Amino acid sequence: MKKIFLLPAFAALAMTAMAQDFDTNPVVKIENQEEELQFTVGARMMADVAYYHSDFTPLKSGAALSDARIRTSMTYKDWYFYADFDFSKGKFKQKNIFMQYSFGDEANKQAVKAGYYNDAASMARNTSLGSYHFISRPAPANALQAGRQLGVTYKYRNDKFFANQGVFAENLYNDQLDGFQGVTVSGRWLYSPIKNSRETFHIGLNARYANICTGENVGDVLQTKIHMSSPLETYVDGNTEFLNTDILWAKNVVNAGAEFLYHNDKFFARGEYMFKYIDKKRDDETLFKNQLGTLWSWGSLESWQNGNPLRNNMFHGAYVEAGYKIFGNAYRYNEADGLLAGLNGKSLEVVARYSYTGLNDIVDGAYYFEAQDKYIDNGILADYPAASTCVSGGNLHAATVGINYSFNKFVQVMLDYTYSHLDRDQYKYDKNFHAVQARLMFSF
Amino acid sequence: MRKNLFYFGLAAAFAATTLTSCENQDLTDVNENATRVEVGYLTPEMLKVRDYVPPMAVMAHRGSTFWAPEETEAAWRWAREMGADYLESDLQCSKDGVVLANHDDNLKRTTNIENLYGEDVPRDRINFYMSPQGGGMTKEQAEAQMAKDRASFNPFYTNQYFYFELARLDAGTWFNQTSIEQALPGFSTQHQYVSSLEDQIRFAEGKILRRYTPELLAELENYSGNAVYYDKILGERVYSVTGVWDPANPHTCLTYNYEYEADPEDTGNRPGIYIEFKESWLNPSNFEEMVYNELDRLGWNIITKPEADNAPFYKDGKVNVANTNGKVVLQTFSFESLRRSAEKFEGKIPMCFLLWHDNITPEQYAGYINMGLEFKAHIIGPCIAGAPNNYFEMNAPWMHDMIRRSGMLNHPYSFDTMEQMNIYWGSYHYDSGHFKAPYMDGAFTNRTELTLQFLIDRGARGEGAPTFVPDPVETLKRLGY
Repeated sequence: MKKIFLLPAFAALAMTAMAQDFDTNPVVKIENQEEELQFTVGARMMADVAYYHSDFTPLKSGAALSDARIRTSMTYKDWYFYADFDFSKGKFKQKNIFMQYSFGDEANKQAVKAGYYNDAASMARNTSLGSYHFISRPAPANALQAGRQLGVTYKYRNDKFFANQGVFAENLYNDQLDGFQGVTVSGRWLYSPIKNSRETFHIGLNARYANICTGENVGDVLQTKIHMSSPLETYVDGNTEFLNTDILWAKNVVNAGAEFLYHNDKFFARGEYMFKYIDKKRDDETLFKNQLGTLWSWGSLESWQNGNPLRNNMFHGAYVEAGYKIFGNAYRYNEADGLLAGLNGKSLEVVARYSYTGLNDIVDGAYYFEAQDKYIDNGILADYPAASTCVSGGNLHAATVGINYSFNKFVQVMLDYTYSHLDRDQYKYDKNFHAVQARLMFSF
Repeated sequence: MRKNLFYFGLAAAFAATTLTSCENQDLTDVNENATRVEVGYLTPEMLKVRDYVPPMAVMAHRGSTFWAPEETEAAWRWAREMGADYLESDLQCSKDGVVLANHDDNLKRTTNIENLYGEDVPRDRINFYMSPQGGGMTKEQAEAQMAKDRASFNPFYTNQYFYFELARLDAGTWFNQTSIEQALPGFSTQHQYVSSLEDQIRFAEGKILRRYTPELLAELENYSGNAVYYDKILGERVYSVTGVWDPANPHTCLTYNYEYEADPEDTGNRPGIYIEFKESWLNPSNFEEMVYNELDRLGWNIITKPEADNAPFYKDGKVNVANTNGKVVLQTFSFESLRRSAEKFEGKIPMCFLLWHDNITPEQYAGYINMGLEFKAHIIGPCIAGAPNNYFEMNAPWMHDMIRRSGMLNHPYSFDTMEQMNIYWGSYHYDSGHFKAPYMDGAFTNRTELTLQFLIDRGARGEGAPTFVPDPVETLKRLGY
């Protein structure tokens, strides 16, 4: 057996598939030519510092190690295995772990991927943070799109089209409190009218359907729930209290979205629109029966339903990002995944982003009772109003400008200023948030 | 060189950001936040009505819960004689529409209802149904009506009983059994009734219940009028009822005519009444309107019968609130009642919005105040901490300050000890500089004598107010208990 330990200088050998950026290709490689194996080891670290100013509720300024990963991969012929693990903030977190089998010819590349990795239906969530041009992903992507899941996908691409679709399980470890796991199907489909070595333009659609089956046994009724949240586009104080909601009784969840991406050597722009529809299902009859037997019981199923109405919800989000490279290597397109690659070598860029996250779904005319954070849907103040169907997770507008400098292809510093404007009844006094944050990142 | 400078600049910026964040670290300061949240302000019209209420008013909570059976003739006579500004009560409604006073949502604690009626419909009711006043039903019809009553009967709630049934309850003896050190024979030997609103008002006017004497019983033996006198027994209260029971109009078909006489022990104090609308589910949906009409009937509705604007709160060393536009103050915890009171009384009678909320934030507190303003309340009534009730703290200095910023009055509830008086007077804050003491504009008190003496000692009672507080026990004895 002949083993050759290759130092980063051999990284160039790996560039045949895609350009090296800050996240996509670990550079420490071990090759076993006899077995036709290539093993890689990499690492990534992101240290953030942030200073916040808010109207009312303080955010915790300071510094944090927001990402610290060990990444490994193994390639054998057309098989590719990948795993990375995060131990930032002193906690071990499983990140990606998957295998991929590639086949097809140059004109029609295909791959089947299985394991734990990002849901297909998102551009932002599929772009590694190490390749991102901002310190954080946009809030709507965090709140409305799915992250990593356990599943299998089939990917096809040619010069014009990219299609990635798959099936995912609802829960990584099948450790839900009660119920069988639900199933998710999702996909992302792109069309690229322009694609060459200098510039790319793609437009695309994505969709996701989730059948929620896991939940909690509440009086012999399976209470399902989905949670949506996002920090204020920062990780040093990554709490999600300002932008979050739990939706009980979610059963069928449909995500739909549209995206575009354009880049040339010096400029990029990209954006996504996201829509989420949540259909609910509840075992009213059992819940009604469960509450019988006291003076306070509802007398009929109809009256119980009137007092506990159920309404489906809709949420929206969108973002648009742009960047201009002052100097450095040209912006590159990651064809394998239909994404913009990260900075490549010594570069300086300025970037800007606007995002909107809509987690409010409030009934017109509802009365909001601030002292108890409650809504009365019919607008008439009462002691025992029907349960509200309002959702007040918060609407957030966020605008970011930033500057990124990479010393080389391994080390990068980022500086962002983000202004966030929150509209959430519960946080009446928390309207405006300012964050100045910087990141030191290395990746190899 | 330029490169090194650039790197140095980056490092310096990194460090400066960190250090700056430490220098100005922003902790949540509830006192500061309390000054930053927004509260509205009373309108000029509302301010005028607010000022109907005497400053640093003393509300005798349920008459007294310490010295006498609450919300009875004994408790309210005592409170009047002690010099309280207001006789406080909790309003509910009988099956036949009598507005009455009872604190709990049922009558078990403060009456002998479990012994007298058990959990059944009062059995004697069948005789009422067969009487002319009860509709003159046949025995079969009356039994059918009784069966119907039983089918929907929820025992011990005031709205399940006719007032003539409630008037048979003993609302005094329980006190002697549970407050042994304060027990007095008169609370049992003089039948203490579940009081009506009219009773409370007449006690405030210096009257007492008229009770049957041998002469009156003899006189009524030959009575042949339409009114029906119930329970014609020596020592019982005298009242009659006119009208015929009509289940379709349960709250208006019968009229109770209570009889009163001048209280021989009255020394001239004329307190107002501070009446609470209880939880909305206890009462009819038009309860606020019923109270409005009852006040009207009794001459205590200042919207229809205002007093002189310059009537003094105190006159000749006696309480005179009952003769001012502040004679009635409304109060409620109920959001629904708050809304309905705003609709019916239009903010023309002082209204207190009572608060009950654990671990409250300034934002939430402002929410209550603004809600009170929206629904035409003039006063906030927060609970206070401390033994013996150990309620939540809703009257911390910053909370009081927010109430004052809204122009509203602060009437905290309920004081039981001098320690509590000292705390909310600000005696222990020693010029902390944060918020101006005292942290109250009046007090609901179970110990009228303590509260009055405390305020008199600090010169906080209004001009012309009584300066002497009688002995509480001697007063009860003087009143015949």
